[in-house]
Parts: sequence; structure tokens; C-alpha cells
Amino acid sequence: MTAAAKHSQAMHFQARAGEKVRNPVLQRALQKAKPLFVGKRAKGMAALADDALDFETLRTACEAIRNRTLADLDVWLDIFEERAKATGAEVLWARDGEEVGRLVVEIARRHGVTKATKSKSMLSEEAHLNEALAEAGIRPVETDLGEYIVQLAGEAPSHIIAPAVHKTIEEVEALFAREHGRPIETRTSADIPDMTREAREVLRQHFLTAEMGISGANFLIAETGTAALVTNEGNGRMVTTLPKVHVVVTGIEKIVPTFEDFATLMRMLPRSATGQSISNYVSLLTGTKREGDHDGPEKTVFILVDNGRAGLLGSPYQDMLRCIRCGACMNHCPVYFSLGGHAYGWVYPGPMGSVLTPLYTGIENALDLPHASTGCNQCGSVCPVRIPLPRLMHRLREEQVERGLRPWSERLALKAWAWLAGRPALYRWMTRRAVRYLNWLADDDGRIRILGMAPGWTAGRDLPVASGRTFNELYKARKRA
Amino acid sequence: MTARDTILGRVRQGVGKDDFAQRKAAAQGLLAARSRGPQPVLSGGLVDRFRVKAESLSSTVEAVPDLRAAPAAVARYVAAQHLPPEIVMTPDVASLEWAASGVRGVARAAHDVDRVGVTACFCAVAETGTLMLLSGPDSPATVSLLPETHIALVDTACIVATMEDAFALLRAERGEIPRAINFISGPSRTGDIEQTIVLGAHGPCRVHLILIGAPS
Repeated sequence: MTAAAKHSQAMHFQARAGEKVRNPVLQRALQKAKPLFVGKRAKGMAALADDALDFETLRTACEAIRNRTLADLDVWLDIFEERAKATGAEVLWARDGEEVGRLVVEIARRHGVTKATKSKSMLSEEAHLNEALAEAGIRPVETDLGEYIVQLAGEAPSHIIAPAVHKTIEEVEALFAREHGRPIETRTSADIPDMTREAREVLRQHFLTAEMGISGANFLIAETGTAALVTNEGNGRMVTTLPKVHVVVTGIEKIVPTFEDFATLMRMLPRSATGQSISNYVSLLTGTKREGDHDGPEKTVFILVDNGRAGLLGSPYQDMLRCIRCGACMNHCPVYFSLGGHAYGWVYPGPMGSVLTPLYTGIENALDLPHASTGCNQCGSVCPVRIPLPRLMHRLREEQVERGLRPWSERLALKAWAWLAGRPALYRWMTRRAVRYLNWLADDDGRIRILGMAPGWTAGRDLPVASGRTFNELYKARKRA
Repeated sequence: MTARDTILGRVRQGVGKDDFAQRKAAAQGLLAARSRGPQPVLSGGLVDRFRVKAESLSSTVEAVPDLRAAPAAVARYVAAQHLPPEIVMTPDVASLEWAASGVRGVARAAHDVDRVGVTACFCAVAETGTLMLLSGPDSPATVSLLPETHIALVDTACIVATMEDAFALLRAERGEIPRAINFISGPSRTGDIEQTIVLGAHGPCRVHLILIGAPS
């Protein structure tokens, strides 16, 4: 079992999904969020037309940039490392999450760090970095407001760009009251600015006193050995400006060649995520504090992480490495918005998670996830780097079958079906009977409310009845006519 | 085997190509070419576009005829917002006539207690209404970050169309990439509590732009 699989709860997807569907507080939070995400993105994309641009043209360009680096990733990593080192940064490599933890703790100890402020990084969730730091006696403080909220709750983020999307205002108020040491008050949406200010004041003190800042990188720019960081809150700037040590923890697939390529991707990343034409803060960080500079880290370390990524290169799943972590796929997914992110059981939820979790934690450890899809392809159609997400989920399902990972009952049923389908006369006789049976089950309005042999199918929805005759019967009748 | 060798070995295997040196040379050629992706066609003038976009991102804008008028504009804004007339500024704007304007300014990196920060900017991007600030001895990054109010002086001659144009200007005017290039587009914001947008998450909650050399 891989280190990543140890922490995955993806095998409990079905049980968790059931809980999430029955949780009214969660359902309220999700129903509120979905139309906002979808509407904002649609508006942002439509506005491209004002500048004679369009989604398809831009995403073709973005797809090409990402493919270009993946096709020669060994070369681009070499160039990035060379140029980052030339700016005075240190470049380290980590095979897996545990190695990330070891390296960061080592750096922290070497620099006498007791507290690290963190800007949101999904890779640090993969690595369970907060646990590793805490075990070593170093306090990790999440500073993205959403991450701060889930850290207080002792939870994992449920969305890659809106970590606390599953939390209602009442839940946040209870957490803040406890953490900030004051009685709980009744809060309405009019109080959200006050609550934000409260968190700002608490976190400001952490920004000023932490000796280490930890961030991810939205992109690594090979041209100059630069980390690109995109945030709205400004916490990304804080953790990379104030502490004396800055550690960038990021995946090896995040490289893009030039500033120009970065500019192209920036026309798609914020729009796909939140519909914004640009995020409030876009920082390009190169090396360390220069001579005469008033601020900036004296030490900058890149930790380039594999944790399963290299294995996707040259595989049927390579397209997945194009992902720029915008969250559009989950924002448009009917399954995600029925369950929220926690049901998926590991770091990444939604369609991209249903592909990445089995690939990074083992296909046998996330059997349900590739099936957690209606196949509607909304995810694929909004993806800014044109990842064929449904096709990849489909491929994972095939691999489950090829490796004999499907349950015996399913395999038996399919064998029985194959046996039957190989005997046309018997098949026709059986299907005629089956269609009559279904017609008999249906109510007058042509809908089946309780499916006899498999009542689970109709527990939450009706099944429309078949036409009354089999395809073979209809075909014959037509030929006669 | 080191982690580096293991990972690069796996990557090389996945990439499935030899001729590393040849491919590296090709990649370096690609870097030198700096080809651009699809470019926007901006209608109207750059200054108008910048202004409209900046305002749509919740920045406020005042136009003044020339740089000498900037300190008085800063003083007016500070008074109108009922802020104390004490500002921290980046050294690159310290040579302006602050004393006569009625604000007391000090040129240094910002501290937590500073309420108003005044900066220049290297250039501004019309496409998105964005400022481009470079860190350096004359422009500490904290001045646009720690105070609740950030006032930026934007020379209209320095407004370019796109981020790509801003990078081209940077390469032309500076030999070296600074430690931090900060693109700033309005006040800091968050939507993390019930998707309600709040200005002033961790950075400034007010961004005021003084457009220099524009008709008001």
C-alpha cells in the first residue's frame, strides 16, 4: 500500500455518499454555492467576446502549453532547476508525501522555526504536511480563510479552491467563538464582513511572527526559475514576503516555459475558477531577498514532488497532468454538488479527484470513484485544458475489469449476460418476457415506482417504462410494413 | 539513489525519448522565442479601459494633470476617508512635495500599524485594470500589502495593453527580474464564508488609484 493510500477513505465512498445526501446542513450549503460558481464562470467566459477572444481558442492554446511541457518534462525540470538555483534558491526533490514532511521539518529545524504560516496548497494536503510539522513541534497555521476554517474544524478541505464551501455561517461562527475565546453570537450574512475582519486580525499576528512561510505554486516558470502564486486574499503575498524562510511545495508537472505562456494560462485559470478576469494578487517570485531589499525571504527552497505524477507520463492517463487545479470540473458536476467534497475520501474531489485518487493511491483503493459520474461530460466541456475527464474515468473502469477488481456478483451477472447474448433465440424470448414484466410493474403514467428485483434503483427516482415491445419485435414489424 | 535521480529517471522513462541534449537545445530556443498566445483586441483607449476595469474591481480612481498634483490628491483622499494624515510610502515617490500637501509621509518598508501606504507602480495593464509592482530597494513590497489603504500613483504613459506587454517592458527596462513581481487588481477579497464577497481579507481593503496625466 502506498503512503498516500494509507490516508485515503475513498473505499468508503458509498457509505459516505449516503451520509452526505442525508445531511440537511451540508445540502443547504451546497445548494447555495452551485449556481454562484456556474453563473460566475459563464459570465466571465462570455465577457471574453468583448476582447475578440473565446473559450475554445484560449483553451486550445492552454492545452498546447501544458502538452508541450509534459512531452519533454525531463528537459523542463532540468532547465527550471538550473535557473532557480542560479537565482539563489535551493531545489529539493521529494518522491512522496512523507519525504515532503521530512524535508520541510529539516529546513524548519535548521532555521529555528517554531511556527509556519501556510498559503493554500493541495499538495501539502497530499503530503499531510500539517501533521508532520505538528509532530515535530512546529505550529502550522493555515491562512487562506477557507483553509483556516477547516483547520479549526479539524477537517480537510472539501473543494480545491473553496475549502470551506460545505460550512454554513452558523458552523463558522461556532468555530470562531471557540478559537477566538468569546461567546457565540447569532450571525447573519450581514455579519460576514465582521467575521472576516476577526480572522484577519488573528491571522495578521501569525503572519508577523512566523519564521517560515509555506506555499504551493500555481505554476513554475522555467525561463527564470520562478514560482507563480495566484490568490485573492493576499495571504500568498504575506507568507512569501514576511517570514525569513519561504518553502514552495509543488508538483513536478506544474512547469510552464515562459512568462508569455503564464500570461495565456492566466486568461483561463481565474475565469474557470471564479469567473474573475484576473485574481487580485498574482505574484511571480524569483530567488531570495536582494541586496538593498527591505523585505522578502533570506532563504527560498523549492520542493518538487512526484507522489505518483511521473507514473502518469506515457500512460493512458497523461492528459490528467495538464490539470491547473481551477475547480471548474467539480463546480459543474451533479455528483459533486449532491455530496460535497468529503465523500470522495482523499485530497481531490469531483471529476478530477475521481481520476487522480485512484491513480495516486492505487486503483484498488478507490473502486467507486470512477463510477461516481453520470457521464454527462459537463466537466470535460468546461475544462480549461481540455482534459477528457469522462474518458479517463471510463478507462479506469475498464482497468478495474481487466484486473479482476469488480465484485463477483457483477462479474457473474455479466458472464450470464454474455452467455444469453450468445444465444439469439433464447435472448429474444427472455427479453420479450422482461419487457412484458416491466410494463406490468409500471403505473398508468408509464413510470415504475418500485423495481421488483432491484428496489434500490427506484428508491430515489422513478424509472420510465420501455416502449412495450423489444427492439427485435419493432424491427420485424417495420420490415413487414 | 537520490530522490532527484529517482524522480528524473521515472520522468525520463515516462517521456520515453533519448536525445536529451538536442531536446534541451530546442527548449531553450522556445524560451528565446517567447511566442505569445491568443491576444485580446482592446477597443477604445488604454487609459479608459484601465480605468473602467480598475473600477469594476472595486478600486477608486482620481485623475490629476501631472505628478506635482499627486500629493494634494493623496491628502484629499485621506481626509475624505477620515484617515490620519500619516502615510508610509515607497522611497521612489519620496521626492514629491509631500510637506505642502498636509500629509506627513515617511519612506520605508511598512509596519503593521501603518494605516495608509502610497506607492508608484512599474506599469499598469489595461486589459484587466491591474497594477504591476516590482520589489526593490526603492519599492518595498510591504507598502502595498500591510496598510488597510493602498494608494497607487499610476502614470498614464505607463499603461500597457496586456500582461505580455508588461513583461516586454520589464525585460526592456530592467536587466534582472526582481525578487517579486506583484500584479495587484483591486482590494484584497475573500468569498470563503458562504460565497459572500468581502473586501479586505488580508491585504488592503481600499485601493485608490491616482491617474497621472489623464484628463479628469
